[in-house]
Amino acid sequence: MVTTTETKRETMSDKPKAHPPRILLAKIGLDGHDRGVKVLARSFRDAGIEVIYTGLWQTCEATMLAALQEDVDIVGVSLLSAAHLTVMPEILRIRKELDVENIPIVLGGIVPDADQPKLKEMGVAAVFNPGSPLDEIIDALRKLTAANQKPNFSDIKSGYEKRDPRALAKLITKIQRNTDLGEFKPPAGNAKIIGVTGAPGVGKSSFIAKLGRRLRDKGNKVGVVAIDPSSPITGGALLGDRLRMMAGTPDTDFFVRSLSSGGAHGALAPHCIDVIAAMDGFGFDYIVVETVGAGQSDVAIRDLVDKTVLLLMPDSGDAVQFSKAGIMEIASCFVLNKCDLAGADATQAQLVGAIGDDRPVFRVSTIRDEGVDAVAEWVASS
Amino acid sequence: MISRADTDSTTTKATQSSDKPFVDAQDIPAFDPATALGEPGSFPYTRGVHRTMYQQRLWTMRQFAGFGSAKDTNQRFKYLLAHGTSGLSTAFDLPTLMGRDGDDPLSLGEVGRCGVAISSLADMRVLFDGIKLDEVSTSMTINAPAAILLAFYIAVADEQGVSPDKLRGTLQNDILKEFHAQNEYVFPPQPSVDLVTDTIEYCTKNMPQWNTVSISGYHIREAGSSAAEELAFTLADGMAYVEQAIKRGLDVDDFAPRLSFFFDAHNDFFEEIAKLRASRRIWARVMRDRFGAKNERSLILRMHCQTAGVTLTEQQPMNNVVRVAFQALAGVLGGTNSLHTNSMDETLALPTQDAAKLALRTQQIIAHESNVTQTVDPLGGSYFIEKLTNEIEAKARAIFDQIDAMGGVLPAIDRGYFRRAIAESAHKQQKQLDAGETKIVGVTDFKEDRAPGIDILQITQKTEDDQVARLKKLKKDRDQKRHTEALTRLRDDARAGKNVMPALVNASKADATVGEMMETMKSVFGAYDGGPEW
Ligand SMILES: Nc1nc2c(ncn2[C@@H]2O[C@H](COP(=O)(O)OP(=O)(O)O)[C@@H](O)[C@H]2O)c(=O)[nH]1
Ligand SMILES: [Mg+2]
Repeated sequence: MVTTTETKRETMSDKPKAHPPRILLAKIGLDGHDRGVKVLARSFRDAGIEVIYTGLWQTCEATMLAALQEDVDIVGVSLLSAAHLTVMPEILRIRKELDVENIPIVLGGIVPDADQPKLKEMGVAAVFNPGSPLDEIIDALRKLTAANQKPNFSDIKSGYEKRDPRALAKLITKIQRNTDLGEFKPPAGNAKIIGVTGAPGVGKSSFIAKLGRRLRDKGNKVGVVAIDPSSPITGGALLGDRLRMMAGTPDTDFFVRSLSSGGAHGALAPHCIDVIAAMDGFGFDYIVVETVGAGQSDVAIRDLVDKTVLLLMPDSGDAVQFSKAGIMEIASCFVLNKCDLAGADATQAQLVGAIGDDRPVFRVSTIRDEGVDAVAEWVASS
Repeated sequence: MISRADTDSTTTKATQSSDKPFVDAQDIPAFDPATALGEPGSFPYTRGVHRTMYQQRLWTMRQFAGFGSAKDTNQRFKYLLAHGTSGLSTAFDLPTLMGRDGDDPLSLGEVGRCGVAISSLADMRVLFDGIKLDEVSTSMTINAPAAILLAFYIAVADEQGVSPDKLRGTLQNDILKEFHAQNEYVFPPQPSVDLVTDTIEYCTKNMPQWNTVSISGYHIREAGSSAAEELAFTLADGMAYVEQAIKRGLDVDDFAPRLSFFFDAHNDFFEEIAKLRASRRIWARVMRDRFGAKNERSLILRMHCQTAGVTLTEQQPMNNVVRVAFQALAGVLGGTNSLHTNSMDETLALPTQDAAKLALRTQQIIAHESNVTQTVDPLGGSYFIEKLTNEIEAKARAIFDQIDAMGGVLPAIDRGYFRRAIAESAHKQQKQLDAGETKIVGVTDFKEDRAPGIDILQITQKTEDDQVARLKKLKKDRDQKRHTEALTRLRDDARAGKNVMPALVNASKADATVGEMMETMKSVFGAYDGGPEW
């Protein structure tokens, strides 16, 4: 359960300001040529765009579900395998099925001239070729973002009350963008809130994907808030947590939302708390929050989580760092991840030496899906 | 004055180190031809791996092809064999490359599209129907499931009464560059390399004529690395395989002669030539000094080159013919042993017959008309070329030091080192392009209104439907008990850390599919998601 912060927000002027686009970039199918999409992702970030990249080997369905949950302004599909006439109709069909037809879909890739009109006709908003100048692409994205119809707040409110995930996604966007929500307060929920913390690269996102699936298997509704530590200068961001959570069949009751910790206003912690509150009120059984464990946001989030899982990995020296920063004290349990790598025994011994044995230490290999069951049981039981 | 800033040099700017507009002896101080070059065919092989090079034997003109069903490709093979080819080159479709069956949901729209679809021994049998496997040499461009395709090949040969020691051919089998660049990986890095080591060990003991790994820089470069990174990452990968095989208990001179390399022939003409020359020099020294190789065949770096697909443009596609021609020339002047020239239309789709022929003709014109083959390493001793060769070697060595400092190639992958470096180089090139610092004829400059597209090859959906139907039938008709037992044995061997090759051959014979064998190994090895730096 979460109590919303009382932080006062600046009331926004009536006219909604143009915000930087938030775009989901997707590679669909088996083709692994990601040079283009990665170059674009970086260039977009540098141009102040918030980019969510979902990684390789995605299905159309998973991509569009991600777009819905992330409430992006645009979906960019990268296709170099010449399968555009098979894939794009499928994407558009699912867009309709999920009723998110307001999200424009653009395509980047090798598309013969003859196919361009066909794609436009079926509803693809724009097609970019490998030679398209970056400025032109970014300009087009901004225009599409500006033209994107935004629902008014009362629609969002009533959708939220009806447990429509699209409304939740939009509400989170509003919170993120510091919009004045007036009297609106999400109702208190009953979610158990689990903080998952640890150094970048230790495997938090990967672990949450597996843990989330275990909780889902027991019939729980699971929400995830992944806070990316990147602190962008331009206001742009490249959010990569979601990419680890894309495996398995697309699941509407596994709601993942990526947040950039940069934020236009820098007032980060209150946002995150309100986002979690909004998710709590939506009726999830579990909310898992990914943070790096250091920094402003964590201090604030610490107070509202029911349990903190601290991830460590063999031979990383993180334990020493965390001890100094006082983070070891706040952990309710420790997950020694990447136990498929050498050095797990020694690191475990070290860890137990440092923290004593009153808190559980789990050995996990996320990549091999080993040891996650025990953590899931512990999370559920206590 | 223009100075070379760092290892990233896809700019086409001239390379001059001082304020003079030319390179001279001062730029290669302490240059000693005897140690830096040697004679062609002798240590350190900078000038080439043979004394006579193209005077006696031209490079192999190897054009990689194949699409559709096993049956289509078999007919193509037979046609090529009837017309004097003795080397078959197999391109697999994307599902096969990714270790998935034709009926996997992610295979949708991809079956037989960019290569031949092989899901089981039955398909492989059709692919080589009527072809005696002891009379041909077969090259298979495949990586993550390479061990499985090799098992299929061994099993088909066995049915023909041909024992493994009679088999000749090449497996690309280079999983490391998949983690750096091409992304056709399945298992995590360590078990993936263990699997490659299984094939090296198996071939060393049973298939002495088989080229086990074609260590590839091509894909690294295509993904956006600089020339120096391409060179350094590829040779570092080579060293990693050598280390792993030695750790397995093999003698370096027993397996090293069967390793070969594959580089990109890119735009920066002289730099590319220097890169190829430097590669031979570095490898010879590394093999001798780091690994104590004694056999000359372990020291020489044999290479295949392909022109740079990434430089071809969709706009004004005819311009690509010119690009391919001078890239190919760089490969030849760099002393490649084998060469593939790209087709001008391949940014659009699979090459048409005419475009593929023109690509081959390009090589033939270089070989038979330009007279560049009259002497070995004609650029050897050029101040500029020797300076570039020294520079690229120095950059490569600096990169080796970085990789060594991280504990080797595998730990560097864990840290995302290669992917980050490549992505940054690619991003930098894009920025240079956007800023107008580099030019692409017909794209950034000398633009024309879009001309009507050239003819491109279309592939039908029928191949996919047939493949799916055949798989369904296979799965229904096979000996289920034998199939289950074979996969159980595979899982147990993988778990026990045994060499899985025998179990893969056994499972192939039990009609296990590529996808099933990959899934079985995934249950033991785990699946990989791209590493920290996506
Ligand atoms: N070897 C190994 N690698 C893992 C494991 N779990 C995650 N990784 C890898 O660690 C890297 C970082 O993972 P990620 O989940 O993004 O970490 P985060 O930054 O903490 O969210 C990825 O390459 C994962 O594949 C594990 O159990 N074993
Ligand atoms: Mg993460």
